[in-house]
Amino acid sequence: MTAPEGILCSKSHEYVLEDGSLYTIGLTDYAVEQLGDIVFVELPEVGATFGKGEVFSTVESVKAASEVYAPIGGTVVEINEKLVEAPETLNNEPYGEGWLIKVESDTASLDSGDLLEYNDYKEELV
Amino acid sequence: MCKQTLLHDKQVELGAKMVPFAGWEMPVSYSNIIEEHHCVRNDVGLFDVSHMGEVFISGKDALAFLQKLVPQSIDKLTPLKAVYCQLTNDNGGIIDDLIIYKLEDNKYFLIVNASRIDEDINWMIRNQIGYDVVIDNQSHNYSLLAVQGPKASALMEKMGVKKDDQPPFFNIKSANINGVDIWLSRTGYTGEDGFEILIPNKYAQNIWDYVIEKGQEFGLKPIGLGARDTLRLEAALHLYGNDLDTTTSPIEAGLAWSVSKNKLEDYNGKDVILSQLANGVSRKLVGFKMLSKIPARHDYEVYYNDEIVGKVTSGVPSPTLGENIGLAYVKTSSNINIGSIIQVMIRNKLYDAKVVARPFVAKKNKV
Repeated sequence: MTAPEGILCSKSHEYVLEDGSLYTIGLTDYAVEQLGDIVFVELPEVGATFGKGEVFSTVESVKAASEVYAPIGGTVVEINEKLVEAPETLNNEPYGEGWLIKVESDTASLDSGDLLEYNDYKEELV
Repeated sequence: MCKQTLLHDKQVELGAKMVPFAGWEMPVSYSNIIEEHHCVRNDVGLFDVSHMGEVFISGKDALAFLQKLVPQSIDKLTPLKAVYCQLTNDNGGIIDDLIIYKLEDNKYFLIVNASRIDEDINWMIRNQIGYDVVIDNQSHNYSLLAVQGPKASALMEKMGVKKDDQPPFFNIKSANINGVDIWLSRTGYTGEDGFEILIPNKYAQNIWDYVIEKGQEFGLKPIGLGARDTLRLEAALHLYGNDLDTTTSPIEAGLAWSVSKNKLEDYNGKDVILSQLANGVSRKLVGFKMLSKIPARHDYEVYYNDEIVGKVTSGVPSPTLGENIGLAYVKTSSNINIGSIIQVMIRNKLYDAKVVARPFVAKKNKV
């Protein structure tokens, strides 16, 4: 699994990737590996706003329901509808087709202060 | 600090993800829970369940002592037969659920839940006064492997135990596998045909390796606790701590079938259990299927006609059915029956579920 250039990761295993004026948020490969088979993804509605650290999604694996925390604050402008029908996409391509939401954020640069670059994140896991 | 079974290192080598369970570090899955689940339903899987407890009860009052402990008629057991039982308290609540095997006259063998070994032994000692019995907790000396699935019997034959020498369902036999004397029981926790192999600790790794080697041609995989949970729930087999505890009686738990209604001997909780059999219970266990794609989980609230009527005790996505299944205790007075549409509260929203007959997936273990 190769992570895209420029992603920033939280210690709770979410990532954020700047994408033009928007930010794409998802779960890291480590997170989906730990969760195992994902069977349902509950996403917020477009227009919902949340602050850094708030729960914005729940991912259900065979084992358990896991909350997903916002790595940066923002307003949801797009959700990945594909995950409703094909939640396993999140297991297969966490950085590609398996993204969760795209947000607008005025606070991204401030909020991302404690996020880690991918290589540092991987080192933290060891 | 969690205990480890003697197979811990072998499991890690096989790629197991280890998690704490009942004070033990156990494999939750090796590859993928859904694949492991289908492997047991279609072929055969190997489980390490060495965390479970083994207790021998012997002495001239062994039968009378066991009769006092469980609502089942232990006197009906003939040597090498087994019966599913509950250790009940004075209120008819379940201290543990267990299997009692009769080995010979005055000698019985119990397999109990890992999380309940200490409670069970304490309870037995408290009940021991006046009975000439020895309660011998051998949990630390035995390992237990489960070989489960439609190809389990063929695999056992390949391992040198001929079909005619294999015990029938809910029977136990001594056998020899790869030069090791073991006890072979035709029991399990999956709803499939299968065996549990009771092994003196020092041979645990020997037998584990041998099962894996001989199992290759049958498609055998090692199976973790994740698939053990989905398999047992599809078969609607209770999990102690979720579906059963000291406040639930066998009758509430839907285990009246296992209780000996005409047992003459007194046993702990008998008056409560007989009264519940005669007059009914205030809550009962039901099975349900979610009508949405969201799994119900342990402790979620259950609603019916806008009223809270109970709680989910177990819930998983069923790999066999592709639906979300679960068990819940509901108030009997709410008149919930098979076919009723109930609601489960999930993250502050109510989702419909349909009450269905148990088991969710037909059992294929009666051989």
